[in-house]
Amino acid sequence: MESELAKLLLFTVGGLANAAYLFIVAAGLSLVFGALRVINMAHGSLYMIAAFVTVVIANQLGAGLGFWAGLLVAVAVTGAIGAVIEVLVLRRVYGREHLVQLLGTYAVSLVVAGAVRIVFGANYRTVASPIPGNIYVGTYSYADYSLFMIAAAIVIAAGVWAMLYRTNLGRNIRAAVSDPDLLNATGVNVTRLYTTVFVIGAALAGLGGSIVAPSQAIASSIDTDVLVLAFAISVIGGLGSIVGSAVGSLIVGLVVSFGILIPATSPYSLAFVFIIMAAVLIIRPRGLFGLPEN
Amino acid sequence: MRWGVVLVLLLFAALIPPLAGLDENLNPDASSRFQIFLGTSALVLALWAISYNLMLGYTGMVSFAHAAYYGVGAYAVALVFKRYHLPILVGLAAAPFAAAAVGFITGLVAQRAVRLYFSLLTLAISQVLFSIAFTWYDVTGGDNGISITLPDQLSDYTTLYYFTAAVVGVCLILMFILVRSPFGAALLSIRENRQRAAAIGINVKVYELAVYTIAATFAGVAGGLFIFYQQQAYPEMLYWTANAQPVVVALLGGTTTFLGPAIGAFIYVVLDNSISKQFPYQFDIILGAIVLGVVLAVPGGISDIPSVFLRLRERFHRGEEAEAAPEESAGDAIRMFDVRKALASDAIQAEEVHSGQTLLKIDHLSRSFGGLRAVEDVSLEVKQGDRHAIIGPNGAGKSTLFNLITGQLKPSSGKVIFDGRDITGKPPHVIARTGIGRAFQITTIFPKLTVRQNLQYAMLAHRGYMVRPFGIANRKFSGEAQELAEAVGLGTLTELPAGQLSHGDQRAIEIAISLALGSKLVLLDEPTAGMSAYETDKAMELVRRLATERHLTLLFCEHDMSVVFSTARTVTVMYQGRVLTAGTPEQIRRNPDVQKVYLGELEQEELGA
Repeated sequence: MESELAKLLLFTVGGLANAAYLFIVAAGLSLVFGALRVINMAHGSLYMIAAFVTVVIANQLGAGLGFWAGLLVAVAVTGAIGAVIEVLVLRRVYGREHLVQLLGTYAVSLVVAGAVRIVFGANYRTVASPIPGNIYVGTYSYADYSLFMIAAAIVIAAGVWAMLYRTNLGRNIRAAVSDPDLLNATGVNVTRLYTTVFVIGAALAGLGGSIVAPSQAIASSIDTDVLVLAFAISVIGGLGSIVGSAVGSLIVGLVVSFGILIPATSPYSLAFVFIIMAAVLIIRPRGLFGLPEN
Repeated sequence: MRWGVVLVLLLFAALIPPLAGLDENLNPDASSRFQIFLGTSALVLALWAISYNLMLGYTGMVSFAHAAYYGVGAYAVALVFKRYHLPILVGLAAAPFAAAAVGFITGLVAQRAVRLYFSLLTLAISQVLFSIAFTWYDVTGGDNGISITLPDQLSDYTTLYYFTAAVVGVCLILMFILVRSPFGAALLSIRENRQRAAAIGINVKVYELAVYTIAATFAGVAGGLFIFYQQQAYPEMLYWTANAQPVVVALLGGTTTFLGPAIGAFIYVVLDNSISKQFPYQFDIILGAIVLGVVLAVPGGISDIPSVFLRLRERFHRGEEAEAAPEESAGDAIRMFDVRKALASDAIQAEEVHSGQTLLKIDHLSRSFGGLRAVEDVSLEVKQGDRHAIIGPNGAGKSTLFNLITGQLKPSSGKVIFDGRDITGKPPHVIARTGIGRAFQITTIFPKLTVRQNLQYAMLAHRGYMVRPFGIANRKFSGEAQELAEAVGLGTLTELPAGQLSHGDQRAIEIAISLALGSKLVLLDEPTAGMSAYETDKAMELVRRLATERHLTLLFCEHDMSVVFSTARTVTVMYQGRVLTAGTPEQIRRNPDVQKVYLGELEQEELGA
């Protein structure tokens, strides 16, 4: 009995840790969609770049301090790449059909995927956890790092909330979300606002990639893996809503974790995510907390 | 010219095996078998990409599930052949049916959403299908997939090549017939403007589901052929990222021409094998760069490059030739409008007039958005032959009322009766077919189609031709459309894309579309918005004469009071979602309440001026 409870706890912590990094990534995707009305197909690529940068720097400088340095560099690098993508690509496709935007950012993701394989190679890479140690519950244990991931996601959530509701920038972003045309008329520098939002979104993708690095093997396929999960979260929670991202991440994180727990369903745990995604879209096409299109 | 290109392509496709043999003779390192194999894969890729382009280029839908139907086709062949030990050709015959069935059911689900959310829903569907293929070990072989060995008759590379070419050829011919049929015209209308497509009576969702299923069917054939030369079906074929291939190929070759994706497929296969063998990672970068270049610089793909050169050359010569070329219309339509000709045109079907009978009856209609009651308990009647204006300050609920009548919005309560039929809450395309035409406040036409096609397609939709998947849409009602265009003063502009015309001319197209639809009641939402005083006068003169001589019934809302009082016979005043009063223009002018809420300030302005 006690071991059943411990198992439940273990899978809950695992699910929450999943939800944590997915939230950070999905929040960036959702923020960009809300303000720019662009689905960024290269979001997973930014995540992947950050994961590799973190792993390389942490392994060079040694786990612990090296990881934190890697995290900072990775976030800076992805933010900078985000700025480049926004200026060179997105600026030319705002206001065009969403097909053009999907294809444009998809092209960027292809370029990044090729570049990452050239620079970092196609092999799996791992990095030691900066917070080693495990907590034991009966015969089961979970890593301290899981708790750090959960805490980090809560801090990020609070930070994003404060940014949106307590700063000028946040006010403008919210205005852009609810009525882009009106914002144009009020004299806000929309061009700069869009760049800023995209950089923040890219940095969040990077942060997610950095934070996930010690908990997973990093390979050059993680870009599409995380992108499709971030899509699922955004669709379940609703594109453009941070609260939606949080709820969606919890659902997806826990479903993946508990899907594995039950042997009969374990091969289907990912399918469950997409069945839920489809069910939400069918019942409520804009997602639980999402914006209506247009 | 176009047929010349097709002929060259055909000849090239037919000659690949002998050319490959020749190459092997001249160049001992080359393997003709491998080149023929590449040719086969290019053909299959072309079929797959063209089927994708039925959605992407012709209807404007982005699906992430198309690879899944390709995969279903491959699995269908593998299962029929290996599990049920039936001839492999039976498997190939089953592939399109399997893909169509899966495509239809999942398409029905995907249809719950539109545009972006539709795309994301197809992504979810694709991942569910992938998971099934990946985990249903007993049937699909799980991650190993299913391998087959071809029967002897087909194992020869050259035979297989010609077999594939024949199947692909038949499929391409079928799809080509489809895209230029009236059914294809409906797809183009949807791509150009969903709202207008519905307003000419096209059931957008049904056509989208149909084309989605058809595209899945042909993807199933492509997937079935894939397993012939790869001799394997595996779950990754269904993964959502696999859709990149048809998308890139279609984009590369051009989404605006039927055979564009075929050229794209050939280029893709050549690039893939010349670059990706030695530089697999660089290949992704090159592919990404090409897609980016196409998206940003050449939206029409490679087959559109000639027109890009034309545009560039035009830009250089702009200085001297700009005046000679009638690139854009100058708003002549209204001036040249000849009502007598318009009336004589066969395109407009005569309708008996029962003056004094109620044509449209709105009964206690309400609609609220959250707490806001945009339209509240509105009742009004529009008599046959009347010109009925609805006026009121901004936010009075005029546009909401129009949207409730034509089905863009559903009422919270109340009824709309048109011509004796209850049309309350019916979808826009049904209401359009009962005979209500609408000119929207923001001009709503098919911008990339020519003026003639705008009118032709309206006629096709109105007369029930659009369900036909055969025949040539552009040849139907060509004469009638020309006549109607001449009658509204657009006779010299019929071959120009409608989006290039001036604002006034575009409004004339909208009115002509309503005429082409034979509408009994025409709703005009601020018909003169954005027009100059001269254009306004001319446009309203046209509307009045049309209404008088054709006994058209008009319902319009307008801010310009001189337009209202010179045109309307009946005026209804709305204020804060309710009907304030209704009567003749004279009664309205004298009504003190109306003056208070609305006219007062205007009249004073007029007096002051």
